Amino acid sequence: MGRTQSQFDRMAAVFFLAVGLFFALYARGVEIGTWNEPGPGFLPFWAGLTFAVMSFALLLQNLRRKGPVRPSFFPKTDSWKRVLTTFVALIAYNFIFELLGFALTTFLFVGFLVKFIFPQSWLRTLTVALSAAVIARLLFINFLETQLPRGFLGF
Amino acid sequence: MNHILLGAQVLFTPINFFFCFLGVLMGTLVGVLPGLGPTAAIALLLPNTFHVSPVTAIIMLAGIYYGAMYGGSTTSILVNIPGEAASVITCLDGYQMAQKGRAGVALGIAAFGSFIAGTISVIGLMLVAPPLAKFALAFGPPEYFSLMLMGIVILIYLASGSILKALMMAVFGLLIGTIGMDSISATQRLTFGLLELSDGIGLIPAIMGLFGVAEVITNVEQEIKREVVATRIKNLLPNVQDWKESLGPMIRGGVLGFFIGILPGPAPVISAFSSYAIEKKLSKHPEKFGTGMIQGVAGPEAANNAATGGAFIPLFTLGIPANSVIAILLGAFMIHGIQPGPMLIQNHADLFWGTVLSMYLGNAMLLVLNLPLIGLWVKVLKVPYPILFPLILLFCLVGVFSLNYSKVEVALMIGFGVFGYLARKFQFEMAPLVLALVIGPMMESNLRLSLVISQGSPWIFIEKPISAVFIIVSLVLLISPLIPWIGKRRQKLQEKVEREQV
Repeated sequence: MGRTQSQFDRMAAVFFLAVGLFFALYARGVEIGTWNEPGPGFLPFWAGLTFAVMSFALLLQNLRRKGPVRPSFFPKTDSWKRVLTTFVALIAYNFIFELLGFALTTFLFVGFLVKFIFPQSWLRTLTVALSAAVIARLLFINFLETQLPRGFLGF
Repeated sequence: MNHILLGAQVLFTPINFFFCFLGVLMGTLVGVLPGLGPTAAIALLLPNTFHVSPVTAIIMLAGIYYGAMYGGSTTSILVNIPGEAASVITCLDGYQMAQKGRAGVALGIAAFGSFIAGTISVIGLMLVAPPLAKFALAFGPPEYFSLMLMGIVILIYLASGSILKALMMAVFGLLIGTIGMDSISATQRLTFGLLELSDGIGLIPAIMGLFGVAEVITNVEQEIKREVVATRIKNLLPNVQDWKESLGPMIRGGVLGFFIGILPGPAPVISAFSSYAIEKKLSKHPEKFGTGMIQGVAGPEAANNAATGGAFIPLFTLGIPANSVIAILLGAFMIHGIQPGPMLIQNHADLFWGTVLSMYLGNAMLLVLNLPLIGLWVKVLKVPYPILFPLILLFCLVGVFSLNYSKVEVALMIGFGVFGYLARKFQFEMAPLVLALVIGPMMESNLRLSLVISQGSPWIFIEKPISAVFIIVSLVLLISPLIPWIGKRRQKLQEKVEREQV
């Protein structure tokens, strides 16, 4: 599905227009102040408004212009699966690593990504995940003394 | 002379010596690894420098920066994949040289070129920074505001794509920068009751998300196969003929890189491209460029290294970052309780001269270190990406978490990762956003202070002569694309860039 650059720009413009208006409206609730004595809402209000105007200009500019046809959003038909899976893995890491502890979560995280994004053999997966967990544990907790959670298992 | 002695005293302590070494080594490593740039690497290691002295920390972080420029060339020459954006141009002739069996010479000349240019930029830094800092002492809030405005405008002007879109990203950066507690009235803005947000959106989570996570995610879309030049690399030392051909380009590249480095923007990238263009123009055989001309490696490699030195000038003299790497260094200064600005060289002479001298030593280290270690870097290059990328992500997660032990910041990083990934797809540039995010709060307080001083008259920015110059330059840059013949040329350039990226 070859979309043109200006179709992309129009979508982005609508999104950013909303963002700009949101900031401008929010800032009205804070206290904009005056030119003599700008308040905390001064910059968010004017910058938000400018941002909205610029987004609108981008929208107008691209109503007529076509721009080159872009390749499809994902280079391969299954790219979106890998992209989504990687994001989910990142979010999951953030949720479970205080509970399970740094080393165990790292093992699971690295192992999962190695096995499922560009599938490697189980032997390779386990070797990489295990060494990553052990080395990261030694490097960050023992050597650099970073205060990372140890989890309920204590390691 | 006293200053240099002071710097040497600072530098030649075992710990600083070691951290300088560590910095350039790490820098070369991230330079070699595609998908992990100096920005992300410095952000990653910043939390781990909290327990050493500020001088030591800055010496190491600076080492990562110029070390990465160095490492980036290795991948360009051997694999035809630039490790850093700044070494894109090196691929053209460097990879061709490697194909002709001259990989060793190409790597060698890149190393010597970087060393010579690094030297030029250190000398330049020593000469230019102190007088500039004295001049900057006369700056008040209006001058600072106008200067920062000009910085952002230059960066936008240099953007390769649409000026409007670059401008939008800068304003968006300013907006994100307003999140958090207002420094003057202590009002909470857009924090949604989250304590973590009252200090503002952290620079490190933003950068790690926009540059680290987004880059990795873009790379997992499809598997990329890399072919390392298989032949054994020998004869790293260039012969007399090679030297004759490349000494001129190195010196020109070094001087050019240094001055471009002072300007805001992705200086190493621009200076490398400009140096290539100049060498091609000056050459008697411009048609041979792209087939393995040694000048095409020596000039750009020298330029991108010298640009890193130049980029330190606005930081040391004005306390204003010229690009995202320097922005993190600025963050490092603040974390270590050092106020960057015109007083820095006076108040922290040891820091300034120590760092400057360390850059000299670091460049020498890179030369000795890298020639024998090239074999090792080639091995690193052979680590398959499917194994490498989870480790890069792990570094991002740990790096951000260990800053403040905050899960909210990790979530922010992932959020910026999503945004950065989409923004790439939609052809928005991230550099103006990051710069605006960093200097946004400074700009805001200087703007408000200026308006308080002038009792609300915005004319203060024109009435002060220095400030007026900055404002005029900004206006000229912003208006110039509207002048038909400049505008048309830029329009063509933009369309060309859009087509090339397709």
